[in-house]
Amino acid sequence: MRTFRTLLWLEHRRSWVWAVSLLTSLIFWAWGIKQVLVSDIAARVGIRSSLLGAAAAIGLLVLAIMIGRLRAETRNGQYQVMLLSPPSGYTHILARFTYASVVAAVYFVAIGFLYWWIAELAGIHFDAVTLIELILGLPFFGMAMVVFPMLAWVLLLMVVVSSYRLAGSGWIPGTVMVFGSGVALGKLGEIMARVAYALPGWRIFRHALGAVVERFGPIDPDVSMEMSQVIYQGLPIEPLLIMLAVTALMIFLAGRIWQEVEA
Amino acid sequence: MLAHLEHVTKRYVKADGVLDVSLEFPAGEVVGVLGLNGSGKSTLLKLLAGLLTPTQGAIRVFGQAPRQARSQFVFLGERDALWSWMTPKDAETFMSGVYEDFDVSRFNELLDILDVPRRKTKAMSKGERGRLRLAMCLSRDVKLYLLDEPLAGIDLISREKILSSLVQEWHTDETILLSTHEVAEAEGLFERVLLMKDGRIALDTQAEELRSQGKSVVDAFREVLA
Repeated sequence: MRTFRTLLWLEHRRSWVWAVSLLTSLIFWAWGIKQVLVSDIAARVGIRSSLLGAAAAIGLLVLAIMIGRLRAETRNGQYQVMLLSPPSGYTHILARFTYASVVAAVYFVAIGFLYWWIAELAGIHFDAVTLIELILGLPFFGMAMVVFPMLAWVLLLMVVVSSYRLAGSGWIPGTVMVFGSGVALGKLGEIMARVAYALPGWRIFRHALGAVVERFGPIDPDVSMEMSQVIYQGLPIEPLLIMLAVTALMIFLAGRIWQEVEA
Repeated sequence: MLAHLEHVTKRYVKADGVLDVSLEFPAGEVVGVLGLNGSGKSTLLKLLAGLLTPTQGAIRVFGQAPRQARSQFVFLGERDALWSWMTPKDAETFMSGVYEDFDVSRFNELLDILDVPRRKTKAMSKGERGRLRLAMCLSRDVKLYLLDEPLAGIDLISREKILSSLVQEWHTDETILLSTHEVAEAEGLFERVLLMKDGRIALDTQAEELRSQGKSVVDAFREVLA
Protein backbone atom coordinates (compact mmCIF):
# COMPACT_ATOMS: atom_id res chain seq x y z
CA MET A 1 0.00 0.00 0.00
CA ARG A 2 2.88 2.33 0.83
CA THR A 3 4.45 1.76 -2.58
CA PHE A 4 1.13 2.43 -4.33
CA ARG A 5 0.77 5.68 -2.36
CA THR A 6 4.31 6.65 -3.35
CA LEU A 7 3.63 5.93 -7.01
CA LEU A 8 0.46 8.02 -6.82
CA TRP A 9 2.55 10.81 -5.30
CA LEU A 10 5.08 10.40 -8.12
CA GLU A 11 2.27 10.57 -10.66
CA HIS A 12 0.96 13.71 -9.02
CA ARG A 13 4.40 15.34 -9.07
CA ARG A 14 4.78 14.44 -12.75
CA SER A 15 1.32 15.54 -13.80
CA TRP A 16 -0.03 18.16 -11.41
CA VAL A 17 0.47 21.01 -13.89
CA TRP A 18 -1.70 19.14 -16.42
CA ALA A 19 -4.30 18.25 -13.81
CA VAL A 20 -4.54 21.75 -12.33
CA SER A 21 -4.65 23.35 -15.80
CA LEU A 22 -7.46 21.02 -16.82
CA LEU A 23 -9.51 21.69 -13.71
CA THR A 24 -8.86 25.42 -13.91
CA SER A 25 -10.10 25.43 -17.52
CA LEU A 26 -13.58 24.84 -16.11
CA ILE A 27 -13.60 28.49 -15.01
CA PHE A 28 -13.12 29.42 -18.67
CA TRP A 29 -15.99 27.15 -19.74
CA ALA A 30 -18.27 28.58 -17.04
CA TRP A 31 -17.38 32.08 -18.23
CA GLY A 32 -18.11 30.97 -21.81
CA ILE A 33 -21.55 29.70 -20.77
CA LYS A 34 -22.39 33.08 -19.23
CA GLN A 35 -21.41 34.81 -22.46
CA VAL A 36 -24.09 32.97 -24.51
CA LEU A 37 -26.96 35.44 -24.58
CA VAL A 38 -29.12 34.23 -27.47
CA SER A 39 -32.70 35.34 -26.83
CA ASP A 40 -34.34 32.02 -27.75
CA ILE A 41 -34.08 30.01 -24.57
CA ALA A 42 -34.00 26.57 -26.22
CA ALA A 43 -31.20 27.71 -28.55
CA ARG A 44 -29.36 29.19 -25.57
CA VAL A 45 -29.55 25.89 -23.70
CA GLY A 46 -28.42 24.05 -26.85
CA ILE A 47 -25.37 26.29 -27.42
CA ARG A 48 -24.41 26.18 -23.76
CA SER A 49 -24.70 22.37 -23.73
CA SER A 50 -22.56 22.17 -26.87
CA LEU A 51 -19.89 24.22 -25.13
CA LEU A 52 -19.81 21.66 -22.35
CA GLY A 53 -19.65 18.88 -24.95
CA ALA A 54 -16.53 20.59 -26.34
CA ALA A 55 -15.14 20.89 -22.79
CA ALA A 56 -15.65 17.15 -22.29
CA ALA A 57 -13.91 16.28 -25.59
CA ILE A 58 -10.96 18.60 -24.93
CA GLY A 59 -10.72 17.28 -21.36
CA LEU A 60 -10.51 13.73 -22.69
CA LEU A 61 -7.70 14.74 -25.04
CA VAL A 62 -5.76 16.47 -22.26
CA LEU A 63 -6.16 13.43 -19.99
CA ALA A 64 -4.94 11.14 -22.79
CA ILE A 65 -1.84 13.29 -23.31
CA MET A 66 -1.26 13.48 -19.56
CA ILE A 67 -1.33 9.72 -19.06
CA GLY A 68 0.60 8.94 -22.24
CA ARG A 69 3.77 10.89 -21.54
CA LEU A 70 5.89 7.76 -21.31
CA ARG A 71 8.04 8.27 -24.38
CA ALA A 72 10.01 11.16 -22.87
CA GLU A 73 10.64 9.05 -19.78
CA THR A 74 11.89 6.22 -21.96
CA ARG A 75 14.27 8.58 -23.74
CA ASN A 76 15.49 10.20 -20.52
CA GLY A 77 15.99 6.98 -18.60
CA GLN A 78 13.32 7.39 -15.89
CA TYR A 79 11.55 4.38 -17.40
CA GLN A 80 14.60 2.26 -16.46
CA VAL A 81 14.42 3.54 -12.89
CA MET A 82 10.77 2.54 -12.66
CA LEU A 83 11.25 -0.83 -14.37
CA LEU A 84 13.87 -1.75 -11.78
CA SER A 85 11.89 -0.51 -8.78
CA PRO A 86 10.34 -3.26 -6.64
CA PRO A 87 6.64 -2.50 -7.32
CA SER A 88 5.23 -4.74 -10.03
CA GLY A 89 4.35 -3.47 -13.49
CA TYR A 90 0.68 -3.80 -12.57
CA THR A 91 1.17 -1.45 -9.60
CA HIS A 92 2.93 1.14 -11.76
CA ILE A 93 0.22 1.01 -14.42
CA LEU A 94 -2.60 1.04 -11.89
CA ALA A 95 -1.11 4.08 -10.12
CA ARG A 96 -0.97 6.01 -13.39
CA PHE A 97 -4.47 4.96 -14.33
CA THR A 98 -5.85 5.76 -10.85
CA TYR A 99 -4.38 9.25 -10.81
CA ALA A 100 -5.74 10.11 -14.26
CA SER A 101 -9.13 8.60 -13.35
CA VAL A 102 -9.39 10.69 -10.19
CA VAL A 103 -8.59 13.86 -12.15
CA ALA A 104 -11.13 12.77 -14.79
CA ALA A 105 -13.78 12.12 -12.13
CA VAL A 106 -13.36 15.59 -10.62
CA TYR A 107 -13.46 17.17 -14.08
CA PHE A 108 -16.52 15.33 -15.36
CA VAL A 109 -18.48 15.68 -12.11
CA ALA A 110 -17.78 19.43 -12.36
CA ILE A 111 -19.12 19.34 -15.93
CA GLY A 112 -22.23 17.60 -14.52
CA PHE A 113 -22.58 20.54 -12.13
CA LEU A 114 -22.28 22.97 -15.06
CA TYR A 115 -25.10 21.14 -16.87
CA TRP A 116 -27.22 21.54 -13.77
CA TRP A 117 -26.30 25.25 -13.73
CA ILE A 118 -27.33 25.61 -17.39
CA ALA A 119 -30.69 24.02 -16.52
CA GLU A 120 -31.12 26.34 -13.54
CA LEU A 121 -30.30 29.38 -15.68
CA ALA A 122 -32.97 28.21 -18.13
CA GLY A 123 -35.47 27.85 -15.29
CA ILE A 124 -35.54 24.05 -15.33
CA HIS A 125 -35.53 22.87 -11.75
CA PHE A 126 -34.59 19.22 -11.26
CA ASP A 127 -35.51 17.28 -8.16
CA ALA A 128 -32.79 15.88 -5.88
CA VAL A 129 -32.70 12.44 -7.56
CA THR A 130 -32.28 13.90 -11.06
CA LEU A 131 -29.64 16.25 -9.72
CA ILE A 132 -27.62 13.35 -8.30
CA GLU A 133 -28.07 11.41 -11.53
CA LEU A 134 -26.81 14.40 -13.50
CA ILE A 135 -23.84 15.13 -11.27
CA LEU A 136 -22.76 11.58 -10.40
CA GLY A 137 -24.63 9.02 -12.50
CA LEU A 138 -24.16 10.44 -15.97
CA PRO A 139 -20.44 11.32 -15.50
CA PHE A 140 -19.82 7.79 -14.19
CA PHE A 141 -21.60 6.23 -17.17
CA GLY A 142 -19.65 8.46 -19.58
CA MET A 143 -16.35 7.74 -17.87
CA ALA A 144 -16.92 3.98 -17.79
CA MET A 145 -17.96 3.96 -21.45
CA VAL A 146 -15.41 6.37 -22.89
CA VAL A 147 -12.84 7.85 -20.48
CA PHE A 148 -11.59 4.73 -18.67
CA PRO A 149 -11.18 2.64 -21.86
CA MET A 150 -9.51 5.60 -23.60
CA LEU A 151 -7.02 6.13 -20.76
CA ALA A 152 -6.25 2.40 -20.55
CA TRP A 153 -5.83 2.24 -24.33
CA VAL A 154 -3.40 5.18 -24.38
CA LEU A 155 -1.45 3.65 -21.51
CA LEU A 156 -1.25 0.29 -23.30
CA LEU A 157 -0.27 1.95 -26.58
CA MET A 158 2.52 3.94 -24.95
CA VAL A 159 3.84 0.91 -23.08
CA VAL A 160 3.81 -1.13 -26.30
CA VAL A 161 5.52 1.56 -28.34
CA SER A 162 8.04 2.43 -25.61
CA SER A 163 8.84 -1.22 -25.17
CA TYR A 164 9.26 -2.27 -28.78
CA ARG A 165 10.89 0.98 -29.86
CA LEU A 166 13.87 -0.33 -27.97
CA ALA A 167 14.22 -3.00 -30.64
CA GLY A 168 14.22 -0.23 -33.23
CA SER A 169 10.83 -0.95 -34.73
CA GLY A 170 8.30 0.51 -32.34
CA TRP A 171 6.25 2.03 -35.12
CA ILE A 172 5.17 -1.46 -36.26
CA PRO A 173 3.34 -2.53 -33.07
CA GLY A 174 2.17 1.07 -32.64
CA THR A 175 0.64 1.20 -36.12
CA VAL A 176 -0.83 -2.29 -35.83
CA MET A 177 -2.36 -1.38 -32.49
CA VAL A 178 -3.87 1.91 -33.72
CA PHE A 179 -5.49 0.31 -36.79
CA GLY A 180 -6.33 -2.91 -34.95
CA SER A 181 -8.07 -0.92 -32.24
CA GLY A 182 -10.33 0.75 -34.81
CA VAL A 183 -11.42 -2.64 -36.11
CA ALA A 184 -11.77 -4.03 -32.58
CA LEU A 185 -13.90 -1.05 -31.55
CA GLY A 186 -16.21 -1.64 -34.53
CA LYS A 187 -16.66 -5.29 -33.56
CA LEU A 188 -17.16 -4.31 -29.94
CA GLY A 189 -19.88 -1.87 -31.01
CA GLU A 190 -21.67 -4.66 -32.87
CA ILE A 191 -21.51 -6.94 -29.84
CA MET A 192 -22.74 -4.18 -27.55
CA ALA A 193 -25.68 -3.40 -29.84
CA ARG A 194 -26.57 -7.11 -29.91
CA VAL A 195 -26.54 -7.62 -26.15
CA ALA A 196 -27.91 -4.21 -25.09
CA TYR A 197 -30.98 -4.35 -22.85
CA ALA A 198 -30.68 -8.07 -22.14
CA LEU A 199 -30.52 -6.84 -18.56
CA PRO A 200 -32.88 -4.15 -17.26
CA GLY A 201 -31.60 -0.67 -18.19
CA TRP A 202 -30.33 1.90 -15.75
CA ARG A 203 -33.38 4.14 -15.50
CA ILE A 204 -31.61 7.43 -15.19
CA PHE A 205 -33.43 10.78 -15.56
CA ARG A 206 -36.88 9.28 -15.22
CA HIS A 207 -38.01 12.45 -13.45
CA ALA A 208 -36.23 14.81 -15.84
CA LEU A 209 -38.87 14.85 -18.56
CA GLY A 210 -41.45 16.24 -16.17
CA ALA A 211 -39.15 19.15 -15.27
CA VAL A 212 -38.53 19.93 -18.94
CA VAL A 213 -42.26 19.80 -19.74
CA GLU A 214 -43.02 21.93 -16.70
CA ARG A 215 -40.61 24.59 -17.95
CA PHE A 216 -41.28 24.53 -21.70
CA GLY A 217 -44.81 23.19 -21.81
CA PRO A 218 -45.87 20.25 -24.02
CA ILE A 219 -43.13 19.36 -26.49
CA ASP A 220 -43.30 17.75 -29.94
CA PRO A 221 -45.10 14.40 -29.38
CA ASP A 222 -42.53 12.48 -31.47
CA VAL A 223 -39.61 13.94 -29.52
CA SER A 224 -41.52 13.43 -26.29
CA MET A 225 -42.13 9.79 -27.25
CA GLU A 226 -38.44 9.20 -28.05
CA MET A 227 -37.33 10.84 -24.81
CA SER A 228 -39.88 8.83 -22.84
CA GLN A 229 -38.65 5.63 -24.46
CA VAL A 230 -35.01 6.34 -23.57
CA ILE A 231 -36.02 7.34 -20.09
CA TYR A 232 -38.33 4.33 -19.75
CA GLN A 233 -35.77 1.82 -21.03
CA GLY A 234 -32.89 3.53 -19.26
CA LEU A 235 -29.21 3.40 -20.21
CA PRO A 236 -28.05 -0.08 -21.24
CA ILE A 237 -25.87 -1.75 -18.60
CA GLU A 238 -24.23 -4.34 -20.88
CA PRO A 239 -22.02 -1.91 -22.85
CA LEU A 240 -20.96 -0.40 -19.54
CA LEU A 241 -19.92 -3.82 -18.20
CA ILE A 242 -18.18 -4.69 -21.48
CA MET A 243 -16.17 -1.46 -21.51
CA LEU A 244 -15.18 -1.89 -17.85
CA ALA A 245 -13.97 -5.41 -18.67
CA VAL A 246 -12.06 -4.12 -21.72
CA THR A 247 -10.46 -1.44 -19.53
CA ALA A 248 -9.37 -4.04 -16.97
CA LEU A 249 -7.95 -6.23 -19.74
CA MET A 250 -5.91 -3.37 -21.22
CA ILE A 251 -4.54 -2.42 -17.80
CA PHE A 252 -3.59 -6.06 -17.22
CA LEU A 253 -1.83 -6.26 -20.61
CA ALA A 254 0.06 -3.00 -20.04
CA GLY A 255 1.20 -4.26 -16.63
CA ARG A 256 2.24 -7.61 -18.08
CA ILE A 257 4.33 -5.96 -20.82
CA TRP A 258 5.90 -3.68 -18.20
CA GLN A 259 6.98 -6.77 -16.25
CA GLU A 260 8.82 -8.28 -19.22
CA VAL A 261 10.08 -5.40 -21.29
CA GLU A 262 13.71 -4.59 -22.07
CA ALA A 263 15.07 -1.09 -21.59
CA MET B 1 27.72 -16.51 -5.39
CA LEU B 2 25.80 -13.26 -5.86
CA ALA B 3 25.51 -13.46 -9.61
CA HIS B 4 26.65 -15.58 -12.50
CA LEU B 5 26.39 -15.66 -16.27
CA GLU B 6 26.66 -18.88 -18.30
CA HIS B 7 27.59 -18.60 -21.95
CA VAL B 8 25.58 -15.43 -22.31
CA THR B 9 25.21 -13.82 -25.70
CA LYS B 10 23.21 -10.70 -26.42
CA ARG B 11 22.64 -9.71 -30.02
CA TYR B 12 20.98 -6.46 -31.07
CA VAL B 13 19.32 -5.95 -34.43
CA LYS B 14 22.42 -4.49 -36.06
CA ALA B 15 25.24 -5.45 -33.69
CA ASP B 16 26.44 -7.88 -31.07
CA GLY B 17 26.29 -6.75 -27.46
CA VAL B 18 28.17 -9.52 -25.64
CA LEU B 19 29.31 -12.87 -26.99
CA ASP B 20 29.51 -16.10 -25.03
CA VAL B 21 30.35 -14.53 -21.68
CA SER B 22 30.61 -16.73 -18.58
CA LEU B 23 31.37 -15.00 -15.29
CA GLU B 24 30.85 -15.41 -11.57
CA PHE B 25 30.63 -12.65 -9.00
CA PRO B 26 31.11 -13.72 -5.38
CA ALA B 27 30.39 -11.47 -2.40
CA GLY B 28 32.93 -8.85 -1.40
CA GLU B 29 34.58 -7.73 -4.65
CA VAL B 30 35.01 -4.38 -6.32
CA VAL B 31 35.12 -5.21 -10.00
CA GLY B 32 36.20 -2.77 -12.69
CA VAL B 33 34.36 -3.43 -15.97
CA LEU B 34 36.59 -1.71 -18.48
CA GLY B 35 36.73 -1.39 -22.22
CA LEU B 36 36.45 0.95 -25.14
CA ASN B 37 33.14 2.38 -26.31
CA GLY B 38 30.92 -0.35 -27.73
CA SER B 39 32.88 -3.15 -26.09
CA GLY B 40 29.80 -4.47 -24.26
CA LYS B 41 30.26 -3.03 -20.74
CA SER B 42 26.81 -1.43 -20.50
CA THR B 43 25.20 -4.47 -22.10
CA LEU B 44 26.82 -6.71 -19.49
CA LEU B 45 25.54 -4.57 -16.60
CA LYS B 46 22.07 -4.24 -18.13
CA LEU B 47 21.89 -8.01 -18.58
CA LEU B 48 22.77 -8.46 -14.91
CA ALA B 49 20.09 -5.92 -13.97
CA GLY B 50 17.47 -7.66 -16.12
CA LEU B 51 16.98 -4.62 -18.35
CA LEU B 52 18.05 -6.79 -21.28
CA THR B 53 17.20 -10.42 -21.95
CA PRO B 54 20.02 -12.63 -23.22
CA THR B 55 19.71 -14.00 -26.73
CA GLN B 56 21.42 -17.15 -25.46
CA GLY B 57 22.67 -18.40 -22.11
CA ALA B 58 21.48 -17.99 -18.55
CA ILE B 59 21.87 -15.33 -15.88
CA ARG B 60 21.10 -15.75 -12.20
CA VAL B 61 21.27 -12.99 -9.62
CA PHE B 62 20.77 -14.10 -6.01
CA GLY B 63 19.62 -17.41 -7.50
CA GLN B 64 16.79 -15.82 -9.48
CA ALA B 65 16.13 -14.30 -12.87
CA PRO B 66 17.60 -10.77 -12.62
CA ARG B 67 14.33 -8.83 -12.83
CA GLN B 68 12.86 -10.97 -10.06
CA ALA B 69 15.78 -10.02 -7.80
CA ARG B 70 15.49 -6.30 -8.55
CA SER B 71 14.79 -5.33 -4.95
CA GLN B 72 18.11 -6.90 -3.90
CA PHE B 73 20.53 -4.92 -6.04
CA VAL B 74 21.22 -1.39 -7.16
CA PHE B 75 21.55 -0.42 -10.80
CA LEU B 76 22.86 3.03 -11.59
CA GLY B 77 22.37 3.58 -15.30
CA GLU B 78 24.54 5.62 -17.57
CA ARG B 79 21.73 8.06 -18.34
CA ASP B 80 20.95 11.02 -16.11
CA ALA B 81 17.58 9.58 -15.16
CA LEU B 82 16.16 12.00 -12.61
CA TRP B 83 12.97 13.97 -13.06
CA SER B 84 13.74 17.66 -13.57
CA TRP B 85 11.32 18.72 -10.82
CA MET B 86 12.91 16.42 -8.26
CA THR B 87 14.69 17.87 -5.24
CA PRO B 88 16.78 15.74 -2.85
CA LYS B 89 13.73 15.77 -0.54
CA ASP B 90 11.57 14.37 -3.37
CA ALA B 91 14.24 11.77 -4.07
CA GLU B 92 14.05 10.76 -0.41
CA THR B 93 10.24 10.48 -0.56
CA PHE B 94 10.43 8.35 -3.71
CA MET B 95 13.22 6.07 -2.56
CA SER B 96 11.89 5.55 0.97
CA GLY B 97 8.39 4.86 -0.37
CA VAL B 98 9.52 2.33 -2.95
CA TYR B 99 12.56 0.64 -1.40
CA GLU B 100 12.22 -0.96 2.00
CA ASP B 101 15.99 -1.03 2.43
CA PHE B 102 16.43 2.71 1.90
CA ASP B 103 18.10 4.41 4.87
CA VAL B 104 16.93 8.02 5.15
CA SER B 105 19.56 9.13 7.68
CA ARG B 106 22.35 7.61 5.60
CA PHE B 107 20.96 9.41 2.56
CA ASN B 108 21.05 12.76 4.33
CA GLU B 109 24.59 12.09 5.55
CA LEU B 110 25.64 11.25 2.00
CA LEU B 111 24.02 14.41 0.65
CA ASP B 112 26.25 16.37 3.02
CA ILE B 113 29.36 14.33 2.29
CA LEU B 114 28.82 14.60 -1.46
CA ASP B 115 27.88 18.25 -1.14
CA VAL B 116 24.58 17.93 -3.02
CA PRO B 117 22.62 21.22 -3.13
CA ARG B 118 19.00 21.11 -1.89
CA ARG B 119 17.37 22.35 -5.06
CA LYS B 120 15.59 20.93 -8.10
CA THR B 121 17.73 18.74 -10.33
CA LYS B 122 17.06 21.01 -13.30
CA ALA B 123 18.99 23.69 -11.42
CA MET B 124 21.90 21.33 -10.65
CA SER B 125 25.06 20.74 -12.65
CA LYS B 126 25.64 17.32 -14.18
CA GLY B 127 28.15 16.57 -11.44
CA GLU B 128 25.67 17.51 -8.71
CA ARG B 129 23.01 15.30 -10.27
CA GLY B 130 25.52 12.46 -10.53
CA ARG B 131 26.31 12.85 -6.83
CA LEU B 132 22.61 12.88 -5.94
CA ARG B 133 22.04 9.68 -7.94
CA LEU B 134 24.97 8.05 -6.20
CA ALA B 135 23.64 9.11 -2.78
CA MET B 136 20.26 7.56 -3.69
CA CYS B 137 21.97 4.30 -4.63
CA LEU B 138 24.42 4.06 -1.75
CA SER B 139 21.65 4.70 0.79
CA ARG B 140 20.17 1.31 0.03
CA ASP B 141 21.24 -1.70 2.03
CA VAL B 142 22.01 -4.27 -0.67
CA LYS B 143 24.86 -6.60 -1.47
CA LEU B 144 25.24 -5.92 -5.18
CA TYR B 145 25.82 -2.57 -6.87
CA LEU B 146 25.84 -2.31 -10.66
CA LEU B 147 27.22 1.11 -11.53
CA ASP B 148 27.33 1.93 -15.23
CA GLU B 149 29.60 4.88 -15.97
CA PRO B 150 28.80 6.88 -12.84
CA LEU B 151 31.78 9.14 -13.58
CA ALA B 152 30.98 9.89 -17.23
CA GLY B 153 30.84 13.59 -18.11
CA ILE B 154 31.30 14.63 -14.50
CA ASP B 155 33.81 17.24 -13.33
CA LEU B 156 37.02 16.24 -11.58
CA ILE B 157 35.94 17.34 -8.08
CA SER B 158 32.66 15.41 -8.34
CA ARG B 159 34.50 12.34 -9.64
CA GLU B 160 36.84 12.45 -6.65
CA LYS B 161 33.91 12.81 -4.26
CA ILE B 162 32.08 9.90 -5.88
CA LEU B 163 35.13 7.63 -5.79
CA SER B 164 35.98 8.45 -2.18
CA SER B 165 32.34 7.82 -1.18
CA LEU B 166 32.45 4.44 -2.90
CA VAL B 167 35.58 3.55 -0.92
CA GLN B 168 34.12 4.77 2.38
CA GLU B 169 30.69 3.22 1.96
CA TRP B 170 31.84 -0.17 0.70
CA HIS B 171 31.44 -3.08 3.11
CA THR B 172 33.43 -6.26 2.71
CA ASP B 173 30.36 -8.39 2.02
CA GLU B 174 29.20 -6.16 -0.82
CA THR B 175 30.09 -6.48 -4.48
CA ILE B 176 30.40 -3.47 -6.74
CA LEU B 177 30.61 -3.73 -10.51
CA LEU B 178 31.77 -0.40 -11.84
CA SER B 179 32.13 0.36 -15.52
CA THR B 180 34.16 3.45 -16.31
CA HIS B 181 36.39 5.15 -18.81
CA GLU B 182 38.28 6.87 -16.03
CA VAL B 183 40.59 3.88 -15.55
CA ALA B 184 43.49 5.78 -14.03
CA GLU B 185 41.35 7.56 -11.44
CA ALA B 186 39.42 4.49 -10.38
CA GLU B 187 42.25 1.98 -10.54
CA GLY B 188 42.99 2.05 -6.80
CA LEU B 189 39.40 0.96 -6.14
CA PHE B 190 39.43 -2.27 -8.11
CA GLU B 191 40.17 -5.70 -6.70
CA ARG B 192 39.27 -7.46 -9.90
CA VAL B 193 39.48 -6.21 -13.44
CA LEU B 194 37.37 -7.30 -16.41
CA LEU B 195 38.60 -5.99 -19.72
CA MET B 196 36.04 -6.25 -22.49
CA LYS B 197 36.73 -6.14 -26.21
CA ASP B 198 34.19 -6.64 -29.00
CA GLY B 199 31.65 -8.14 -26.61
CA ARG B 200 34.05 -10.72 -25.16
CA ILE B 201 36.02 -10.86 -21.94
CA ALA B 202 39.57 -10.14 -23.04
CA LEU B 203 41.03 -10.29 -19.53
CA ASP B 204 39.62 -11.29 -16.14
CA THR B 205 42.19 -10.96 -13.41
CA GLN B 206 42.81 -9.76 -9.88
CA ALA B 207 44.30 -6.27 -9.69
CA GLU B 208 46.80 -7.58 -7.13
CA GLU B 209 48.07 -10.08 -9.67
CA LEU B 210 48.70 -7.30 -12.16
CA ARG B 211 50.52 -5.31 -9.54
CA SER B 212 52.68 -8.31 -8.64
CA GLN B 213 53.74 -8.39 -12.31
CA GLY B 214 54.69 -4.74 -12.02
CA LYS B 215 51.73 -3.60 -14.11
CA SER B 216 48.98 -1.16 -13.37
CA VAL B 217 45.37 -1.56 -14.54
CA VAL B 218 46.05 1.22 -17.03
CA ASP B 219 49.02 -0.75 -18.43
CA ALA B 220 46.86 -3.86 -18.81
CA PHE B 221 44.12 -1.76 -20.41
CA ARG B 222 46.57 -0.41 -22.99
CA GLU B 223 48.20 -3.79 -23.57
CA VAL B 224 44.99 -5.74 -24.10
CA LEU B 225 42.81 -3.19 -25.81
CA ALA B 226 45.26 -1.18 -27.90
